[in-house]
Amino acid sequence: MVLRLEVRNVSKSFLGVRALDKVSLSVAPGEIHALLGENGAGKSTLSKIVAGVYDADEGEILLDGKPLHGLTEASAARAGIGIVHQEGSLIDHLSVSENIYSGRPPTSFLGQIDRRKLRSWSAELLAQLGLHIDPDSRVADLPSALRQVVEIAKALSHRPKLLILDEPTAALTLTETDELFGVVRNLASQGVAVIYVSHRLGEIFELCHRVTILRDGHYVDTVKVSETNTEALIRLMVGRDLEFAREPASAPPGEALIEAHAISSGPDVHEASITVRRGEIVCLAGLVGSGRTEFCEVLFGARRRESGEVMFKGRSFRPRQPRDAMRAGIGMVCEDRKETGLFLERNLVENTAVTVLDAVSTGLVVSWAKAGALAETFRESLGIVTPSVYQKVGLLSGGNQQKVLLAKWLATKPALLIVDEPTRGVDVGARSEIYRILRELRSEGVGLLVVSSDLPEVLALADRIVVMADGRTVGELSGAEADEVSILRLATVNTQTGLETMETA
Amino acid sequence: MMRDLTMRQTAPAGFPSTGKSGESSLAGRILASRPQTLLILNVILIAAMAIAYPANFATQANFSAVLLNAAQSGILVVGMMILMIGGAFDLSIGSTLALSGVVAGALVGWLGYPAELGILAGIATGAAAGLVNGLIVTRLGINPLIATLATLSIYRSLTQLIGASGVTPISNAFKFYGQVKFLGLQSPFWVMLVIVVLGAWAVARTKVFRQYYFIGGNARAAQLSGINVPRLTLMAFVLMGALAGLAGVLAAARLNSAVVSAGIGVELSVITATVLGGASLKGGEGTIIGGVLGVLFIALVQNAMIINGIGVFWQGMIIGLVLLLAVSLNRFKQRSAR
Ligand SMILES: Nc1ncnc2c1ncn2[C@@H]1O[C@H](COP(=O)(O)OP(=O)(O)OP(=O)(O)O)[C@@H](O)[C@H]1O
Ligand SMILES: [Mg+2]
Repeated sequence: MVLRLEVRNVSKSFLGVRALDKVSLSVAPGEIHALLGENGAGKSTLSKIVAGVYDADEGEILLDGKPLHGLTEASAARAGIGIVHQEGSLIDHLSVSENIYSGRPPTSFLGQIDRRKLRSWSAELLAQLGLHIDPDSRVADLPSALRQVVEIAKALSHRPKLLILDEPTAALTLTETDELFGVVRNLASQGVAVIYVSHRLGEIFELCHRVTILRDGHYVDTVKVSETNTEALIRLMVGRDLEFAREPASAPPGEALIEAHAISSGPDVHEASITVRRGEIVCLAGLVGSGRTEFCEVLFGARRRESGEVMFKGRSFRPRQPRDAMRAGIGMVCEDRKETGLFLERNLVENTAVTVLDAVSTGLVVSWAKAGALAETFRESLGIVTPSVYQKVGLLSGGNQQKVLLAKWLATKPALLIVDEPTRGVDVGARSEIYRILRELRSEGVGLLVVSSDLPEVLALADRIVVMADGRTVGELSGAEADEVSILRLATVNTQTGLETMETA
Repeated sequence: MMRDLTMRQTAPAGFPSTGKSGESSLAGRILASRPQTLLILNVILIAAMAIAYPANFATQANFSAVLLNAAQSGILVVGMMILMIGGAFDLSIGSTLALSGVVAGALVGWLGYPAELGILAGIATGAAAGLVNGLIVTRLGINPLIATLATLSIYRSLTQLIGASGVTPISNAFKFYGQVKFLGLQSPFWVMLVIVVLGAWAVARTKVFRQYYFIGGNARAAQLSGINVPRLTLMAFVLMGALAGLAGVLAAARLNSAVVSAGIGVELSVITATVLGGASLKGGEGTIIGGVLGVLFIALVQNAMIINGIGVFWQGMIIGLVLLLAVSLNRFKQRSAR
């Protein structure tokens, strides 16, 4: 049988950084092929080369046995290669349907865009993905999970023969991930070849047939998923063993740090309450759209609070803007590093110094020596892979960007750190690093409020778990006793009727 | 063919040397920063003119004329660059300039107040005009283009209502501040020099002004990082207004006359110089030095035209073409970094 895709000895350097070094890969029709490797291993670079975004420095790419030359994004799309990029590619102020068919909108016979067809085609594609949103809604108004689904719909709109998914589930929760897997399996059964990039090993075992491992731009191995296990993959990927088991706090938590009672804000948060004490990790679990991020934003002063009481360190607390919360000792690592977290055009030094300009200044003047030293410390302690701390953050791999985002808040030495999706797009090595850092903060007496859609992560980290559904806090579980089923049961409680809707468990 | 906007490779503005960022070719290195490109253009222009017209161009009188010419835009470009780094701009500066000159002139020339008070009142008027601009933008959430387009017309009309046909002459004491010479150069040049040096230092080094790069780069992320975005934006407008006020007072003092039509169209040449100097409309980029070199370049082109005897009508053409060239050089650089 002819292979759908063959990549032969492809290399690529960026201004001296060797991102790929003679990497090969083959994918058969109907195969779901995972691409695995640490942050900066070159997965996205390889994906982008196949999709015509970058030109390879050397090597060959064959689609259905025919070599592809001078590939551009447009010609790759015409040849039947679809890609969902790790970093979003949607245009904010356009509607969902316009984004989906941005490449080639359906036209009526005079050449103008056929709005009706555009809408119905989009609705059909979205329904196929299990998503029932209005195709006319503006992309900017969608939460990040839904934007991700729109990205996928966009890639599918070309009816690709080869579909590349670069960390499509980083922003999704279990339910949407299940829907996505259904779609991917269905496509594969129709003969579409799929390249699947993810840091979640569980997904690879659930979905994929074979897996190719990259390390530092080098090809390591290709193995059948049925013939390997998690430990073996981790070893191939990072060259050593890692542990992700739950580690309870060594000491009982201290006094309450923040106590929020019956907080309401807009349509997203209704009478939500939470307490976080010194030296404990509280995880906020729930489905996408359950109001977790919005609730945290209220606590951080980034969203208006309409009613409710917050006590911070024993005193009534009402931040009018994030600056106030920051001064009081609260940090918030937000979930969308590209839109609201990082300054992609600025370098690592500036991105880590932005929250602590006072500390890295002498009088009025910013000391770049101090800021540079600060960035170097975090580069070291978080293992950020970059040629230099003066590299623009936008050029780092996704996982390394996440570490920079974390660094920027660790620099403020907060008493309470809110972390919205701590390991989105982060490799297993970095994930265990981040867990270690969060636990270390806990042992130093920092209170941690962690929002996570990744249930194994919640179970590994949490001392207590607060579950949200429809903007309400609907229950609390002790980290030691909770399991995925008990969390999901709470998360899918229908708050209007009190009935449980358990379509996921 | 630009594929990915985030894939750009430029040295961050005003940041200590980023030689490691990897510009390898000679052309790449020269184009690495806009100030360097502009400096080279300026040097070439000066050298060419000095060789072609040694008797007319390379004289002290001519140089001081060029510098005096550049003084007004040089003061304004500092404020505009700070605004544009922070993702905003101000179209009303020409009107603010005229309004401030007329207020100062009226206080001193008509009402007989001391010159110093007139000067301070002129600058304060400018700052107040900037404050209004800033409040409209930050409180009402109206974008800077519309907001300052509206005040451009409002302030001009206010100037005409107050100043009628202008104030001429103002007073000898007032005139002194615009005409006094030091080392053969008139005061506006020295004022500009002080402001440019202070501005360049502040933007490159101080923590207050550094924050504009973050605001222009990603305003939402800046707000979430604890930067008081509305307040800093307001401050930049006030500063711009005060600088326009200062420029207006100096212009009135230099001519000993406050004209109601002063500063018409300066916003366009100042924004041109700012963009030439490395600013972009979406913000987050540019340096004061770049802006000043942009001003100097425009002043030199104007001077060269006059000496060459080429009609002044060609000026706009040349400056426009250079602007396009400078901006497309950036595009070229982005593409070669792919
Ligand atoms: N446009 C670019 N310019 C410079 N360096 C780049 C560019 N794109 C990628 N790199 C570098 O190439 C290497 C590989 O990056 P890539 O994005 O392919 O990693 P990845 O395997 O997708 O990582 P992650 O899991 O974090 O997404 C990294 O060191 C990255 O910094
Ligand atoms: Mg990647």
